[in-house]
Amino acid sequence: MDHDGADSGLEIEAWRTLGGVRRFSHEAMATVFEVSAVHSDERYAAQAAHAAFDLVDRLERELSRFVPNSDIARVNRLAAGERTRVGPSAMECLVIARHAFDLTGGAFDVSIGTGLPSLELEPDAFAVRATTDGVRLDLGGIGKGYAVDLMAELLEEWGLGQALVHGGFSSVLALEAPEGLDGWPLTLSNPGDPSRVLVHLSVRQTALGASGLRKGDHIVEPCTGKPVRGRRAAWVAVPRPEAAGAEARGDGGPRVAAAAVADALTTAFMLLGLEDIATLCERSPGVEAWVLPEPDGDQREQATLLHFGGSGAGYTSASS
Amino acid sequence: MAGDGEPGKTPAQTGDQGQRKLGRRDVLRGLSTFPALGLFGYAWNEQRHYEQAKMEAAAAAPAAAGDVQPINVALLGAGAQGQVLTDSMLRIPGVRFRAVCDIWTEYNQKRVVNQLKKFNHNPNAYEDYREMLDKEQELDAVVIATPDFWHSPHTVDCLKAGRHVYCEKEMSNTLEGARAMVAAARDTGKLLQIGHQRRSNPRYLHCYEKLLGEAKLLGRIVTISGQWNRAVAPDLGAPARYAIPDARLKQYGFKDMHQFRNWRWFKGLGGGPIVDLGSHQIDIYTWFLGVNPSAVMASGGLLYHDPKTHEWYDTVMAVYDYDTPAGPVKAYYQTQTTNGSQGYFENFMGDQGTLLISESETYGARLYRDPNAPAWDTWVQKGFLNAPTIQEVKEKTEGVTDVRESVSPDEHKVSIVLRDPYHQPHLQNFFDAVRGKAKLNCPAEAGYESASSVLKVNEAIEAKSRLAFGPDDYRV
Repeated sequence: MDHDGADSGLEIEAWRTLGGVRRFSHEAMATVFEVSAVHSDERYAAQAAHAAFDLVDRLERELSRFVPNSDIARVNRLAAGERTRVGPSAMECLVIARHAFDLTGGAFDVSIGTGLPSLELEPDAFAVRATTDGVRLDLGGIGKGYAVDLMAELLEEWGLGQALVHGGFSSVLALEAPEGLDGWPLTLSNPGDPSRVLVHLSVRQTALGASGLRKGDHIVEPCTGKPVRGRRAAWVAVPRPEAAGAEARGDGGPRVAAAAVADALTTAFMLLGLEDIATLCERSPGVEAWVLPEPDGDQREQATLLHFGGSGAGYTSASS
Repeated sequence: MAGDGEPGKTPAQTGDQGQRKLGRRDVLRGLSTFPALGLFGYAWNEQRHYEQAKMEAAAAAPAAAGDVQPINVALLGAGAQGQVLTDSMLRIPGVRFRAVCDIWTEYNQKRVVNQLKKFNHNPNAYEDYREMLDKEQELDAVVIATPDFWHSPHTVDCLKAGRHVYCEKEMSNTLEGARAMVAAARDTGKLLQIGHQRRSNPRYLHCYEKLLGEAKLLGRIVTISGQWNRAVAPDLGAPARYAIPDARLKQYGFKDMHQFRNWRWFKGLGGGPIVDLGSHQIDIYTWFLGVNPSAVMASGGLLYHDPKTHEWYDTVMAVYDYDTPAGPVKAYYQTQTTNGSQGYFENFMGDQGTLLISESETYGARLYRDPNAPAWDTWVQKGFLNAPTIQEVKEKTEGVTDVRESVSPDEHKVSIVLRDPYHQPHLQNFFDAVRGKAKLNCPAEAGYESASSVLKVNEAIEAKSRLAFGPDDYRV
């Protein structure tokens, strides 16, 4: 269900030409995480990036269903009526996932496995209770975005405010842009034809989620169990509230996780009806989405990119 | 898909025909109930209100969690390891955090206090542990995860203040320090658990008690090998704006911020990778064999890292001699910090089988039966280990049938797994002991013997010779 790198159709445009940007990468969660940041001291920037990568590794140990003693693996083993304690990261992910599930009428469930409706979350006690057997969660559709959110907070703590963080380019979070730019230059392109750029974006303080299919891939519709037809890719932009910086969180209050939300919505937008996507974007100021339909019949014919929402603060888009 | 059509779900998940169905109506219902943004805070509170309402509704049936005797705990040392231990303790019922002490008040101390507040603890924060011991009169136990050179003074003072102590390994960077800790535990009668957490890991306990102890599946163990390899990583840094003032660093024994963050590499503060990593695994060699090593030879050096910013050896290879009642054993161990290939494991080889075990729960433990050893069917039936995985055998596609390249030994996995964070069972064992319900799995004496055998490696490297252990090396 993960669609990374080339098939996310999301890239930094000509990043080598960006002044003073240093790039660091690290493999985790079955993808490559990257930090691109502006800082005069190479060693300091590397230390900050590695502190962020250590954080991703910790999150993977807590959130991966493939790690037998992770919080999620433990939740997946709960029998009906059983309860377990989880860490704050797992709880935050589950609350965001529950919200995305409700928000999208269950469409998001496709990327989180099955059984979310059978879990009772007790946020204050950091406990999770299963009401039925057979919970099989997979935070693949939200975990990378959540990791990107936390990495960005850490980089801000380190003073690397001009930065862009992504996990496999399916979850991207742009902080402030390099000197002289209004935003980080990003492109959306057809995952089946990456050379064809569809949109140029200039993005700051915004999360972008991407979900795309190459030929032969498929996403299964959660209700019918049948492959979804008609969508090649979906991208969702969610603005990051300015107050989401680490300093604003000293009270340990809830986290504003723009990248996790974008990550969750993007998979749902591969499934949801276009009217529903339009409604959701209309009612959610700042949320913007692009959907690339599968071309009809003749494969050489290019489908038209559909655009929803928009006029969000902090970024502009322009069709190429 | 499993879980489809579950009855009793919210309308958003259940369609009119009793099966889940995506529909515009459902989505709109979701949208009319929730705003999409301001998203997380709203979702969190929504969830919380829902749970509160439910709990109030169920208030007639009181929870049955009141039988756990609470233990008042202070965390001394809120760095990376302190945070790992905190994460584990938060999952253990009955642990009450009363204090957090760390000299990095600007960053790590704050992080841990905030984390604990999320879990409804309200600890007092301290920079000076003496002040903490003076003011916190309710403490039952202190969990210590400070740099190695602080372990001894911290532990001794906490024990003398009447607190039980869980102290991270290596017990101390000097034998004198470790000896003072054992003596303080004896004098005060308080508990001292050393953080060799594999000794409480159910998989390691199963291998020790059942596979090696009861079933003796390996036969006579003759050799052991093990490693912890790590890839190159930059030195640890710190967010510039949260740097500790120089005066405070010096007050607590650190030259500067670099040394504070990378104390493991400095002589007089830590012991280098052989002590940070090797001590866990060499402790297992000794625990499984049941005797302490009789000699060690070792080679090592600072082969890769910058000597200006690193003092201890980045590469160490050591060979221990053990004289067990069954006969002599040679045990090899290596640690290096330039290539992380194959990570960390311990490999025990006997004349009837091999046990390859790693603390990594993703890897687990595997046994290989020597083709000449008696069958293990009985032990498989008893559930000591899983039935063998059929090894993939390459058959030649031409010529005589059944010409095989070689016969691999059967691979049996050990089904006992740890479902909790790695340090949780060892901490649980400590708290159980505090409640008088268990014996410590790694008391001060065991920690001392382990420290003595590991610290000798650095000595042997320096001396460029084989060093023998006498009975005095393990006696306090």
